[in-house]
Amino acid sequence: MTAIAFAQPDAAILARRDAIVAGLAALVPSDVLITNPDECRAYETDAFTAYRRMPMAVLLPRSTQEVAAIMAFCQEQGVNVVARGAGTSLAGGAIPQEDAVVIGVSRLNRVLEFDRPNRTLKVEAGITNLAVSAAVAPDGFFYAPDPSSQLACTIAGNIAMNSGGAHCLKYGVTTNNVLGATVVLADGSIVELGGDAMDMPGLDLLGLIVGSEGQLGIVTEAILRVLPLAEGARPVLFGFDTSEDAGACVAAIIGAGIVPVAMEFMDKPAIEICEAFAKAGYPLDVGAMLIIEVEGSDDEIDFTLQKIVEIANGHGVKVIKQSRSATETAQIWKGRKSAFGATGRIADYLCMDGTIPTSQLPYVLKRMSEIVAGYGLRVANVFHAGDGNLHPLILFNANDPEELAKAEMAGADILTLCVEVGGCLTGEHGVGIEKRDLMPKQFTREELDQQMRVRAVFDPQWRLNPSKVFPLENRWMPQ
Amino acid sequence: MTDFIPLSAPELAQYVRQASATGETLGVIGGGTRGLAPKDVSQIVSTSGLSGITFYEPSEMVIGARAGTPLTDVEQALADKGQMLAFEPMDHRPLMATRGQPTIGAVAACNISGPRRVSAGAARDHLIGIEMVNGRGEIIRSGGRVMKNVTGLDLVKLNAGAQGSLGILTEVIFKLMPIREQSLTLCWHGLDEADAIALMGEAMGTPFEIDAAAHIPDYGEEQGARTLLRLEGFAPSCTYRFKQLARLFSHHGQPEKIEGEKARALWRMVANAEPFTSPDFAHVLRVHIAVSKAPRLLEYASGWGVRTLIDWSGGLIWLGLEPDTDIAQWRQQIAALGGHARLVRSSQVPGPAFASPDEKIAGLMSGIKHAFDPAGIFNPGIL
Amino acid sequence: MQTQFAPERLADSQMAESEKILRSCVHCGFCTATCPTYLLEGDELDSPRGRIYLIKDMLENDKPASADVVKHVDRCLSCLSCMTTCPSGVHYMHLVDHARAHIEKTYRRPLADRFIRAVLAAILPYPNRFRAALALGRLGQPLAPVLAKLPGGERLKSMLALVPQKLPRAPKPTQQNLAAAKKGRVALLAGCAQQVLDPEINAATTRLLNRLGIEIADTKDTGCCGALVHHMGKEHQGHVAAKRAIDAWWPEIEAGKLDAIIITASGCGTTIKDYGFMLRDDPDYAHKAKAVSELALDITQYLATLDLPKGEPREEVIAYHSACSMQHGQQIRDEPKNLLKTAGFTVKDVPEGHICCGSAGTYNILQPGFATRLRDRKVKNIERVAPDLIATGNIGCMTQIGTGTDIPIIHTIQVLDWAYGGPKPAALG
Repeated sequence: MTAIAFAQPDAAILARRDAIVAGLAALVPSDVLITNPDECRAYETDAFTAYRRMPMAVLLPRSTQEVAAIMAFCQEQGVNVVARGAGTSLAGGAIPQEDAVVIGVSRLNRVLEFDRPNRTLKVEAGITNLAVSAAVAPDGFFYAPDPSSQLACTIAGNIAMNSGGAHCLKYGVTTNNVLGATVVLADGSIVELGGDAMDMPGLDLLGLIVGSEGQLGIVTEAILRVLPLAEGARPVLFGFDTSEDAGACVAAIIGAGIVPVAMEFMDKPAIEICEAFAKAGYPLDVGAMLIIEVEGSDDEIDFTLQKIVEIANGHGVKVIKQSRSATETAQIWKGRKSAFGATGRIADYLCMDGTIPTSQLPYVLKRMSEIVAGYGLRVANVFHAGDGNLHPLILFNANDPEELAKAEMAGADILTLCVEVGGCLTGEHGVGIEKRDLMPKQFTREELDQQMRVRAVFDPQWRLNPSKVFPLENRWMPQ
Repeated sequence: MTDFIPLSAPELAQYVRQASATGETLGVIGGGTRGLAPKDVSQIVSTSGLSGITFYEPSEMVIGARAGTPLTDVEQALADKGQMLAFEPMDHRPLMATRGQPTIGAVAACNISGPRRVSAGAARDHLIGIEMVNGRGEIIRSGGRVMKNVTGLDLVKLNAGAQGSLGILTEVIFKLMPIREQSLTLCWHGLDEADAIALMGEAMGTPFEIDAAAHIPDYGEEQGARTLLRLEGFAPSCTYRFKQLARLFSHHGQPEKIEGEKARALWRMVANAEPFTSPDFAHVLRVHIAVSKAPRLLEYASGWGVRTLIDWSGGLIWLGLEPDTDIAQWRQQIAALGGHARLVRSSQVPGPAFASPDEKIAGLMSGIKHAFDPAGIFNPGIL
Repeated sequence: MQTQFAPERLADSQMAESEKILRSCVHCGFCTATCPTYLLEGDELDSPRGRIYLIKDMLENDKPASADVVKHVDRCLSCLSCMTTCPSGVHYMHLVDHARAHIEKTYRRPLADRFIRAVLAAILPYPNRFRAALALGRLGQPLAPVLAKLPGGERLKSMLALVPQKLPRAPKPTQQNLAAAKKGRVALLAGCAQQVLDPEINAATTRLLNRLGIEIADTKDTGCCGALVHHMGKEHQGHVAAKRAIDAWWPEIEAGKLDAIIITASGCGTTIKDYGFMLRDDPDYAHKAKAVSELALDITQYLATLDLPKGEPREEVIAYHSACSMQHGQQIRDEPKNLLKTAGFTVKDVPEGHICCGSAGTYNILQPGFATRLRDRKVKNIERVAPDLIATGNIGCMTQIGTGTDIPIIHTIQVLDWAYGGPKPAALG
């Protein structure tokens, strides 16, 4: 299980473990610090469980100031820091390492201020994504980015990974919905980026922090844009004989000038898996399915749907099923959003996250099946069809090291394919550790160096989440 | 006034390497419409030779163009397929009294936006890929042609709005939106600023998808004060939302319905800050401020009898100031309200565009500048 | 998730079962979000995913339970909210039951802890002992502040706080007014603590069922169903209780005379419905246990099959509090609310209704800190819907929530009995 390497732990740090832990203990209240190995073990991985590393200690601070104090101490002591939100990363973004401490932000979960006229909500960044929407729902608002893990994942993690979701076709991803952030830098200093007004002058540091995977600092507070809830929303299931038909239908809908709020694709294995869990009424006798959601008043929804139905009919749609109630709508989305977890009922899986130009969809779907079959494995496909963000789930048996290796190789082949057709390695899950060694497939040496030079402005010593994103070889460091 | 017109990225890269070796400083110019001719540089590079659409996939809603491509070329190609750049970039020519053609690269480099800033975003929100030449003369690509991409650090965002301080953009890739079937504008006449702000704020909190909102105060001209809400979408949807909004705000009177060229002209006026074209306004400030804090600024402005234009879906207020105004005092006032101002046109020489009051942040910015451009050859005055 | 059990250890059926459960967990973390203790603490160790990880480490490596593992497993309410949330179908209940049994076998608790657990296990399941203890408890209440200062005294104090001021008299429910046409025949679990704390619950059940033409079989006394001790990891004691209950019902079941076994405390319902699993390896009881589990129904599930008449609209607004054992343990959600609505009441859901009130069997005594924070959170949420009364289907929640609010809290069946011609519940004055 060690195909992906971690940096060699710093022996000098390991040797000073007791002193470091004592130093941390002097810094924070006792229930903020976890050092017992039994207890630290629960923090050794995230949702990418194929890789695990025990941290030296885990800290669960309750304020920005505590985070700052810990960061300053770690910087002074030369200790690595791995930030953790809810630990739902599918790319291993929150996996620690032996010579690092974990700083978890889960206790920073308060809503600070709702500025209704400005339609902004200030929160502590450990709040869960769904709790943000829940906080403003009574006033008729919601927070748009909706990663499938939104029930559990934190805003801090969303910012670190620039999370997307099913509804970003219309509403954009995290970077389009964050206006400000309080960031604790590696040296423990605290900066406020952005604010409650838009387009701050100067370099877009906030835009850089979003998606930086915990390598530039730890976000402890955020100012989020919230949007008015639509009058209504209705997801409709469209079943097709083949994935190709479904893919062509997506292109035709966009070509017709219609941008539904979400267009989700599932192939037959994925439909079966999700239906078994959510009992959402997915059609089981089709080869592929689209969940297309439109918003507005009932009449507006009917009007737009009619246009979509016409297009779907022209692409050989076999089944059309509209949600008839709020409960059905919830079930339909529950099925989709639980797709990864529900897959766990039948097998272990590696979840890929490449994005491709949507015109390449039929070719890529075909090639992916061939690739995975070539390794003797199976694949279930769930993805955001509107934007080409694929989530093939490569099914395997985690207790069979050979199958894990094959699954990883199949995954690498698929991501390489995504880059070859003009796409990218990751659309919303982040590079983490999982895709780190594939970075040279997408970037030249100069491009990686340029990114690392920017990284070094924030963290010249590679202390923050050091084993992630950039291949361990050829790391650029300031002279 | 141009010293070099590269025809390709490699050619530009080569030129930058030479310039760097010989200690030159470089200013980059696109269409020159923003009136920001590079100053204090030894060489001026024009992107005009880097022109042309590199690819356009309507079914993917994405277009790539070389940086010097005139904006009109891009917009025309899109319009032919019923698509558009959703962020409705401001045209600076009326305000700056400049000529020439705005370029797509400058739109990206200056993070231009318009009255759809709030509803659809600014250039930064639609720019998904760039190719640039950095200060080491290397060709660097970031992002790409797919709209969801979190691979590596987001250098696209850093360069959007960097005004060429990190390098010279050679190609930009934008995501697109379809042009809506219908565009309707509701116009209320004669509201004062307080009522207008309340109306716009409330409307933008409804589910009726306000595409843009603006308030043009009474400038003593024939039309008087006008408060505008724009709706876009399928015709039945626009009609429905129009009715809902008219009913919701009936206490402000029945809104006039404006469509077609008349509406477009009105929104161009808002987007391009046309009420400030007169040279009487020695300083034109573009103020970004939270909606909730704007009334206090407007109150302050009215105390001075200053001309305003509220582009609410642009998230900003335009202020036209007299020649002897103390700009620093205004900036202070605005900063105290959490906002910030850009001196878009002024008879004074502006300070560094990117000055941050926070030392740490200023340090990070200059560190990043150095990371791209170690010798400091690009647009040196900005940071 | 990958597991690393030595093959010979999987020969044990319970270990094999736990391994299967662990394999189905994909460590996605969804469960953390709906776990009451994680909401309070923000520490993954106090979340299902963290506990699963601790349990995995302990079972996989055949480690005796450590004090830290015990701390975090003890903090688990067994509310099973995580099982409702889990997309992967991880059977957390069976896993944590296994862990508790493992802890009981391999860990020696501190003296005060052992003492209180022994006391609870020796008293609560036995109505006569419990009644006597409550009488003593009332005498002891003035001593609470003093007791609180003793080692482990917080728990004694919280135990005393739960002692009701007066105990209702305990009439044995008698059958009456049995409608002429007999429509069905059921057994009714007499239970243990409930019949002491609120005998009216089963009396109301009897009245309503009789009025509907349902006869209640006169079975032997079942005693406690075993849930209380089972949740303390006292596996053997739990099995003994289960078998006693099964023996009491078996003659009637064997004769095919029972339509259902009716349970009016959802905490018991969750356990009885799991008898089939608990005793799956017992050659004498496996099939009987399975039959009992299949017949077991919460009273509201049973009533939902009887098509009760629609009542006139009534003015009372009811906040329906779904016990965790009801909504998560038994996945019963709509039946109780629909019955109350049909009877004519306005029924409101409680915000954050999926989060436990902190009762959780003996949890409010063993973990008074967490229990009180959860109770206060629950009461705040209930008060947000401004109800006239709270209806719920579990005696534990009634006692727990009742200590935090003056709003009357009444068993769903008493409210229904009242609506369909029975006496007005005493709590409503």
